[in-house]
Amino acid sequence: MVAQPVQKVFPLTLKITNLPSSNSSRPWRIPVRIDCYLSHIKMAGLSFDNFQRNQYIASKGVAMPKATSTGTTIVGCKFNGGVVIAADTRATAGPIVADKNCEKLHKLSPKIWCAGAGTAADTEMVTQLIGSNLELHSLYTNREPRVIASLTLLKQHLFKYQGHIGAYLIVAGVDPTGAHLFSIHAHGSTDVGPYQTLGSGSLAAMSVMETQWKENMTKEECIKLCADAIEAGIWNDLGSGSNVDVCVMEVGKDAQLLRNYITPNIREQKAKSYKFKKGTTAILRESIYNLVDVEETEIPVPMEVDA
Amino acid sequence: MNGVSVDINHLKKGEVNLGTSIMAVTFKDGVILGADSRTTTGAYIANRVTDKLTQVYDKIWCCRSGSAADTQAITDIVRSYLTYQVGSDNFERPASVNVAASIFQELCYNNKDNLTAGIICAGYDEEKQQGEVYSIPIGGSIHKQDFAIAGSGSGFIYGYCNENFRKNMTRDETVNFIRKSLGQAIKWDGSSGGVIRMIVLTKAGIERLIFYPEETYLVPKEFEIPQAA
Amino acid sequence: MSNTIASEYGHTDTSVPIEHRFNPYSDNGGTILGIAGEDFAVLAGDTRHTSGYSINSRFQPKIMDLGDDLVMSANGFSADGDALIRSFQQQLTWYHFNNQNKKLRPSSAARLIQHLLYGHRFFPYYVHTIIAGLDEEGKGAIYSFDPVGSYEREQCRAGGAAASLIMPFLDNQVNFKNQYDPATGQARLKTYLKLDEVLNLVRDAFTSATERHIEVGDCLQIKIITKEGVREEFYPLKRD
Repeated sequence: MVAQPVQKVFPLTLKITNLPSSNSSRPWRIPVRIDCYLSHIKMAGLSFDNFQRNQYIASKGVAMPKATSTGTTIVGCKFNGGVVIAADTRATAGPIVADKNCEKLHKLSPKIWCAGAGTAADTEMVTQLIGSNLELHSLYTNREPRVIASLTLLKQHLFKYQGHIGAYLIVAGVDPTGAHLFSIHAHGSTDVGPYQTLGSGSLAAMSVMETQWKENMTKEECIKLCADAIEAGIWNDLGSGSNVDVCVMEVGKDAQLLRNYITPNIREQKAKSYKFKKGTTAILRESIYNLVDVEETEIPVPMEVDA
Repeated sequence: MNGVSVDINHLKKGEVNLGTSIMAVTFKDGVILGADSRTTTGAYIANRVTDKLTQVYDKIWCCRSGSAADTQAITDIVRSYLTYQVGSDNFERPASVNVAASIFQELCYNNKDNLTAGIICAGYDEEKQQGEVYSIPIGGSIHKQDFAIAGSGSGFIYGYCNENFRKNMTRDETVNFIRKSLGQAIKWDGSSGGVIRMIVLTKAGIERLIFYPEETYLVPKEFEIPQAA
Repeated sequence: MSNTIASEYGHTDTSVPIEHRFNPYSDNGGTILGIAGEDFAVLAGDTRHTSGYSINSRFQPKIMDLGDDLVMSANGFSADGDALIRSFQQQLTWYHFNNQNKKLRPSSAARLIQHLLYGHRFFPYYVHTIIAGLDEEGKGAIYSFDPVGSYEREQCRAGGAAASLIMPFLDNQVNFKNQYDPATGQARLKTYLKLDEVLNLVRDAFTSATERHIEVGDCLQIKIITKEGVREEFYPLKRD
C-alpha cells in the first residue's frame, strides 16, 4: 500500500516589510504555497516526486545534472592490534576538480570509520544515517557499537536501494571483539580481507598492496603502506589527487584521524600578482535601501567606583 | 519480461559478480561443498580469496553463484530464519537440510525477476544421518541430487563429474574428486580462479579445507613431484 | 566490456544482441594556449597524454615547429592531430619545392590548414588547432581553427580540455575585458604585453588549469617565436 500524503492547503504569502514603496513595480510580495512541502515532510524516506517530471525532461533531450562523483582512491589495511584506512582528497565533477581537499573519511562511531568512493552525496548521507542508527543501537543495548553491526546496517540499506545509492565503502574499526576491516559495494555485497582498495584508483592502490603487504605489520608499517597505496592512486589515477588522509584505529585506544597526513601537491607560487587597483570594477548603477531604522541613543556610563 | 522466459542477463551495471565454479557432493559419511574464490567486476578481480561457502545453520551450508549482493542478502535472510524461527529452541527439532533448501527456493522463486542467484544448498541431516544436496538454479526451481555443480565454470566439468562420481565414496576420494573437478573448471573458465575452498560436513563435525594453485591443484600429472615413501 | 553475466548456465550464456558501432575517436586531453605580442608570439601546451582516467604519457610534447618560423598544435584526439600536422608538413615541403624555398606566411598557412580540415568535413579531424608566427609586418600572429576549418586571427586563444577555464582569464588579462581605468572610469585601454609578462600569464594559466582540470599537468612546453627564430622552454607542472 502506498502512503497517501495529507493534503493540506495553506496559501501563504510572505511579506517583506520596511521596503520603500516607491519601488512598487517590484513584486516584493512573494506568494509561497507550502502545501506541497508539507506533504513531503510527512513521508519517510527519499522523495521520488520529481522522477516522472525528470524522465519527461530527459526524453526531451535535456541532460540531467551530474552528481559529484568522487573518482577516488581509498584503502584499508589491518595490522597487529588495529586497522588503518586512508583516502585521497580530490572530488571531481566530470573532468573538473570540484574540491581539492575534501574529506572522504567518515565517522560512523568514535572507533568505527569509513572511507567512501562513488557518489559523494550518497557516501556522505548513508554514512550519517547508519552512524545515527548505530548510536541509537549502542544506547539501547548499552554496548560499544560493533563493526559487523555497522556493516550489516550498511549492506541491508544499500541492497534495499538496488545500487541506486552509489556508495562504495571501506568500513574499519575496533570494538570489543577486536579490529575489523570490510568493503561494501553499492549493490550491497561485502568482502572481508586483511587489505582492501576501492574507487577509480583502486587498481593502482591494489598493485602496491599486492606487492608490499605482509603479515603481522606494525602500526607504523601499516600507515606507510596505506599512504603509499593512496599516493599510487594520486599520481597514476586522474580521478584521484591532492593529499592523503589517514585514520588509525587501535584496540584499546581512541581512533585518531590524521587529516592531510601527506601533502605532496602544494601549489607553487604564482608568477604574477593579480591584485586589481581599487576602482577597476566599474560601478554601473548604485541603489541603497534602508532595511532597518537605526536609532542612536546615548547611554551614560556609570563612573568607576573604588572598592 | 513475460514471466516464462527469464532475463538472466540483466546484471545491473557495475554489479559484483561471482563468475564461479561451485559444487557439492554427498559421500559415505556426509557431504562436502567446494568452491573457487574469485569475485569479479568486469575484467577486474575484486577479491581473489572470496569465501563462497556460507553457513546458514550448524551443518547446513550453501555455495553461492551469480550476483554477490543478491546471494549474500538471500543467505543472510535464510540464516536468520533458521536461527531465530524454524530452527530455534522453540521448535521440537533442529532445522533440516530440506527445510533450509526450501526456504532458499521460496525466496529465489518469489523474487525471480529481481535476483541473479544460483545456489547449492547442502548439509548433513542429523536425523537421517546422511548428507543431502539441493541445487536451486536461477528461476527458483529445486533439485535434490547426489551431487551438484553450478556456476560459469561448471559447464566445463559436466562430463568429468558424470564419469567420475560414485555413490558412497570415502572422504579422501570425495575431496580428491572435488579438487580435480574444480581444478579443471578453474583451468578452463576465466571467471573462476584463486584457491579451492571446501567444507566437510559429517556426524563428526565441520572441517574446513583449502587448496592453493600450483601447489595442490593446478600441477599437471607429468610435473607432479613423486612423494617419498 | 561484456554484457553477459556468468550464471549457472555458463555453457549456455546468451547475451542480448546489442548493436556495436566502432567509435573511431577518442579524447587525449591536454590544453594549448597561444598569445600574440607586438613583435613575438607564443604557443604553449602541457605534455600530458591521457585516455579516460589513465595517463598514457607524462611527456608527449604537442607544439610542433614547422619551419618558416611557424609553430602549430592540434589538440584533442592526438592521432588526428598528428595526422593533420604531418599532412601540413608534407604540403609545406611541396610548396618549398615548387616555389624556390619561399617562406610560407602565417596567413597562407592558415588558409592551407582550413582546406586540410574542411577536406574532412563529414569525418572531421577531432582537434582544436592553433598556429603561431609573425606576419609580414613582423607582428605576432595567432590563428585558431575549429575541427572543420573555420578560422580566425586572434590576439590570444586557448584550446583543448581546459580552454573554458583559461579563456576568461585571457580575456581579462590580455584584452583587459571587464577592467576599467580607476582614474577615468573608462574601459582600460588595450596595450601590447611584453614577452616576460606574457610568459608569466602562460605559466599561471597552466598552473591554474592543472589545479582544476584532471587532464592537464606533468609538464609545460612553450614555444616562443621572435624575429631571432623559434625558442623553446619547459616548466614542470603538478603530476597528480
